[in-house]
Amino acid sequence: MENKTNRTFILKDVNLDVKEGEFISIMGPSGSGKSTLLNLIGMLDEFNEGAYMFNGQPVHELKEKQRTNLYKQHIGFIFQAYHLIDELTVYENIETPLLYQDIKPSERKARVADMLDRFQIVGKKDLFPEQLSGGQQQLVGIARALVARPKLLLADEPTGNLNSKQGEEIMSLFKKLNQEEGITIIQVTHSEKNADYGSRIIHLLDGRIEKKD
Amino acid sequence: MGTEVRGEHTFYSHGSPAPLAKAMRNDYAFAEKTTRVEVFWGTQVSVESPNNNIKKFKEDNGIAITTSDYFDIFNFPLVSGDITTALNEPNTALITQKLARKYFGSEEVIGKTINIGNKVNAKITGVLRDIPLNTERVQEIYVSDKNLKDFSDWQAKEDSWGGFTSECNTFLLLKPSVAASSVEKIFPQIMEKYYAGNINKNVFRFHLQPLEDIHFDADYGGYVDKKYLWAAAFIGLFLIITACVNFINLATAQASNRSREIGVRKVLGGMRAQLFWQFIAETTIITMFATLLAVGLAQLSLPFVNTLFKVQLTVNPFMNTWLLLFLSVIVLTVVFLSGSYPGLILSGFKPAIALKGKLPREKTTGFPMRKILVIAQFSISQMLIIGTIVIASQMNFSKHSDLGFDKDNIVMLPVPIHDSIGKIKMKWLISRLKEVPAVKDASLCMEPPSANHSNVKAIRYDNDVKERPWSFNAKPIDENYLSLFNLKLIAGRGIYPSDTINQYIVNEVFIRKLGLRSPEEIINKNISVDGVTAPVVGVVKNFYDKSFHLDINPVVMFPALNGVEHCAVKINVPGSRSGLASIEKIWNDVYPQYIYEHEFLDTELEKYYEFDDTILALIETFAGIAILIGCLGLYGLVSFMVAQKTKEIGIRKVLGAGVQSILWMFGKEFSRLVLIAFIMSAPIAWWFMNRYLEDFKFRIQIGVGVFILAIAITLLIAGVTIGFRSLKAAMANPIKSLRTE
Repeated sequence: MENKTNRTFILKDVNLDVKEGEFISIMGPSGSGKSTLLNLIGMLDEFNEGAYMFNGQPVHELKEKQRTNLYKQHIGFIFQAYHLIDELTVYENIETPLLYQDIKPSERKARVADMLDRFQIVGKKDLFPEQLSGGQQQLVGIARALVARPKLLLADEPTGNLNSKQGEEIMSLFKKLNQEEGITIIQVTHSEKNADYGSRIIHLLDGRIEKKD
Repeated sequence: MGTEVRGEHTFYSHGSPAPLAKAMRNDYAFAEKTTRVEVFWGTQVSVESPNNNIKKFKEDNGIAITTSDYFDIFNFPLVSGDITTALNEPNTALITQKLARKYFGSEEVIGKTINIGNKVNAKITGVLRDIPLNTERVQEIYVSDKNLKDFSDWQAKEDSWGGFTSECNTFLLLKPSVAASSVEKIFPQIMEKYYAGNINKNVFRFHLQPLEDIHFDADYGGYVDKKYLWAAAFIGLFLIITACVNFINLATAQASNRSREIGVRKVLGGMRAQLFWQFIAETTIITMFATLLAVGLAQLSLPFVNTLFKVQLTVNPFMNTWLLLFLSVIVLTVVFLSGSYPGLILSGFKPAIALKGKLPREKTTGFPMRKILVIAQFSISQMLIIGTIVIASQMNFSKHSDLGFDKDNIVMLPVPIHDSIGKIKMKWLISRLKEVPAVKDASLCMEPPSANHSNVKAIRYDNDVKERPWSFNAKPIDENYLSLFNLKLIAGRGIYPSDTINQYIVNEVFIRKLGLRSPEEIINKNISVDGVTAPVVGVVKNFYDKSFHLDINPVVMFPALNGVEHCAVKINVPGSRSGLASIEKIWNDVYPQYIYEHEFLDTELEKYYEFDDTILALIETFAGIAILIGCLGLYGLVSFMVAQKTKEIGIRKVLGAGVQSILWMFGKEFSRLVLIAFIMSAPIAWWFMNRYLEDFKFRIQIGVGVFILAIAITLLIAGVTIGFRSLKAAMANPIKSLRTE
């Protein structure tokens, strides 16, 4: 990151290879740059130095529109604060990514129905986020992230606002998605317990990789 | 006292017959004072200057001929001279201080002589205080009543009851115990006594009109209909309300910026009431500064406003108690209207939530108060935009339509005298004018085809015993008139040269009113005007003889040198400048005692619409202000929506939304608001504009195009206003938007 007077490095010398189908956890104390790394992987942010190859494509050389198309189709994002749109129903929230991908109405309907069914929230499809519990809201968030059939799922402290039981449910779900459907998952987490669900752990400290397991 | 003239079209006039005042004074005891005053406009005044040169002046406001009891009724005091005797002798006059200085360079002018209209040499017997700006009696020269015969022997006669001019006014100062209604009861007796055997006995009817009503009474030709004043007042009120509404909108939208401050104040012990009054105090300071700024701006814009609307206003709160009162009331109302609601909202924030900088969540969907207020503002703006378009179109139509005669490159010159010498002079004038190379044609006439002033008369047709019950527009012309003005004959021929009335030409409306089926039917039939019978030799196609406010009258044209008041000159455009100079020289040769002036006909005709032009300017100004305020409100709303939707925009961008679709989120919402405003405002605007257009006999139709244009303009303005703000929001980095506290 460059501000006017000096250059501050948020991430330094980060070299990371992720293969399809992996389940990776990124850990580290506050301010270590975990979320920044995740945002970069998700193409939501830009970097000044370095290179990023996604599926063989050089992301850092792509124009804004091409990048948007790329992450639209392949990446799903899950947030700690769920970030659902309060004015839309559960159904509409899950449907939203499909609207930006030019998918026909009948196809959209089918996919959303499929998601609702899978997560067993069909009965809640017309409710608003504020009428759901934290765990249910996160489920909706995950459903929304998955509805576009991404190959890569990025999760930023997905269980941070949930109690331990809800947290376990979410993490089991992740494991299932990874093992049964081959979806690559990269999560940022504080909790050692959550990190153990994955196959690999990256530790960050002050913007550098401390150790990799 | 005014006169109602009943006939096919009844109209009311300020004027009354010349002998009426004396009759009222002699026959009845209602009035403390009775007076008659006669006005002659555009008189020439000549003054002999010390070195024996004659200075000529044209006084457009003219002279008023009256007796000294006029000044007992109207308060026009003298600064020198004795009002009780000043006008008693013939050949005496009063002039104002302003004119005294203009003619003689000082105000010591009693005993000096001025020549009025080349008819009377009057001795000045008094100097009037300068006439105030807001009076209808604008004459600055008053002449003794004994000189009336020099200006009009018809008016000076004791028995001229048969007709009247609107420039002859009769005023009564009723005794305190006398009610107007009891005076009106005796009017039939007057008709009996003076109109026995007169054909106008059942046509004229007298009425009393209180002096204070004169300015506004449209029926009697008052300057302005009060409805326009009310309309302007309402619009002004709307604009203030709109501004207050905006203030509320913006203040509450800005609430998020102050939530932390309020949270802290409450934690430190501030109570709700204290915070409320703090907000009211802030609003008061803002409003008072705004008011001071407004008074200053009003002062600065005064010259511009006065020219634009042809008024003479002054703005001085310290001289005008009404103004001061009004301003105070406005300040108080605005402060409480605009300040209470935001004050209540802000002071109601819960400290815990406020400290976190979070707001109580407000819906952005549906129709919260905010959106309703914006819709209301845009409705007002749209109505004013539609009004502007319609009035401008009507003005364009009125001023640029083909009037049925040529009006370009035609100059009107005055013909000041038409007695026996005058007749020789005018023929001399026209023959010399025709020799000027730049002059294409010239014609002696009373007025051009379309003129404000007209002679109204009645006719007898063919073998009629009685006159027809309708009147027509009588136009003295000469043999060049039809070709100069390019009037089209549809039957018969033009007139042969003649000094007296021996032929008539009529228009199509005239034919229609007689009930004839074709114009040929009237050729060579006789008609009789004022006792003069002669055949009709030609029929012209209709032309607009008055403004588009009025119907086309039946018109009769005839040769009559004693009716000539103008010479119309058609000039070639190349060489027109030197041509005009030659024309002026020739005219001054022919009439050395008079002042030369010329008017281009097309400029003259535009004066028909002076008042409409003023209305147009007024509405354009209001529309501009309303649009400005509306845009401010809109900007406030979009800022508010952006603030509320920052997170949602971030989420949508993460989910793949492009800048375009975010922009459309805002665009869709605001287009909806504009459309709703349009649906509400269009019918109302349509109704008002129809009322306005009803004042015109010849008018445009309010087509779909007007509404499409209005809505396009509004959408454009709305788009520009919200464009920048929503673009900025749409391009924001989603990560920043989603950052949780």
